Amino acid sequence: MSDNAESPIETQKEESQPPSDDSTANDDKKKIDVLLKAVGDTPIMKTKKWTMDRGRTVQSLSQFISRFLKLDSSEQLFIYVNQSFAPSPDQDVGVLFDCFGSDGKLILHYCKSQAWG
Amino acid sequence: MSRGVLDEESFRLCCRLLLQRSEQLRDGWSWKAVQGSEEGYLRKTALRSVVIDPSPARDQEGSGSDSEPRTSCQSCPDQQGREKEESALVASVDTDRVSGAIDDDEDDEDDGVCTVSGGSSQVLQYEYHILHSCSYAAPVLYFRAFTQEGRSLTLEEVWSSVHPSFRLRLQSSPLNTISLQEHPLLGQPFFMLHPCRTEEFMRPVLQAQDQHRPVNYVLSWLSVVGPVVGLDVPLKYSTSPGSSTEPH
Repeated sequence: MSDNAESPIETQKEESQPPSDDSTANDDKKKIDVLLKAVGDTPIMKTKKWTMDRGRTVQSLSQFISRFLKLDSSEQLFIYVNQSFAPSPDQDVGVLFDCFGSDGKLILHYCKSQAWG
Repeated sequence: MSRGVLDEESFRLCCRLLLQRSEQLRDGWSWKAVQGSEEGYLRKTALRSVVIDPSPARDQEGSGSDSEPRTSCQSCPDQQGREKEESALVASVDTDRVSGAIDDDEDDEDDGVCTVSGGSSQVLQYEYHILHSCSYAAPVLYFRAFTQEGRSLTLEEVWSSVHPSFRLRLQSSPLNTISLQEHPLLGQPFFMLHPCRTEEFMRPVLQAQDQHRPVNYVLSWLSVVGPVVGLDVPLKYSTSPGSSTEPH
């Protein structure tokens, strides 16, 4: 899987997608819409709606959110699907979208907490 | 299942439901009863291909200088100001109308995720046990791992084989995360994933549930802790109607 968390944050005034380069040789460049919702005391991302490649992993998204929120190393980010379980870090977001997406988007809740122990 | 805690009886109910689903999915879980009692635990074995990273303490090369290492071992001094900072990132845009795109434009770097120098891949036999802890009122994951020659992994090797996405957090307090313990029912040494944070990460799940969408505590908990130690919880557990705790 081509995992990459070094993504630039692109914010736009409209919901159209930016032109993305087709350098990825993989088959499916299709993108999905994801809505990120904060839980509890976790900082709220001002941009909540994101588009991303189906092939992006949960781990990659998690790193993106952690960086966006500037979490430090002692903080763990938890991501929930359906508000009921945590997807595996290696899971493709595209598959999550297929299983749990509704109204054309995948809603993910995120929560930060202190690291284990 | 209130207040973020799980009593013994609810634990057993959750396990029963998880077991039913596991049997449908052929996911390999079984219930091991303590002789003469209702007490017991869930057990599963699995083969896992693991790279034992001999130097787990380092972020791998590839993170550019301008990219984050906020997630390296320095702590951010300005934790209080974080929310203000974060809103400054998106400047003056109206939240409701904005969406962003997460792109793969800078595709060249793997952010210390999987690339390991010097580690070799081996197939290990893992055995996972889910027990209930009365003192934490939560499930606890115990496990052990063997090489194919039958050698038990050391604690250091287990730490080295933790999924990369948890490795940084593990390093900040390894002994509070995974340690070697005596199995409460079997008396043998097992690795244990500490339950003290369970209530914290289960709280959002429990708060969100209602009677129309009850949650299987053990399943939700397992989905969080399992991947830390290589235990996969197939998505199908959560896509089926059988994942709730309430008998209909």
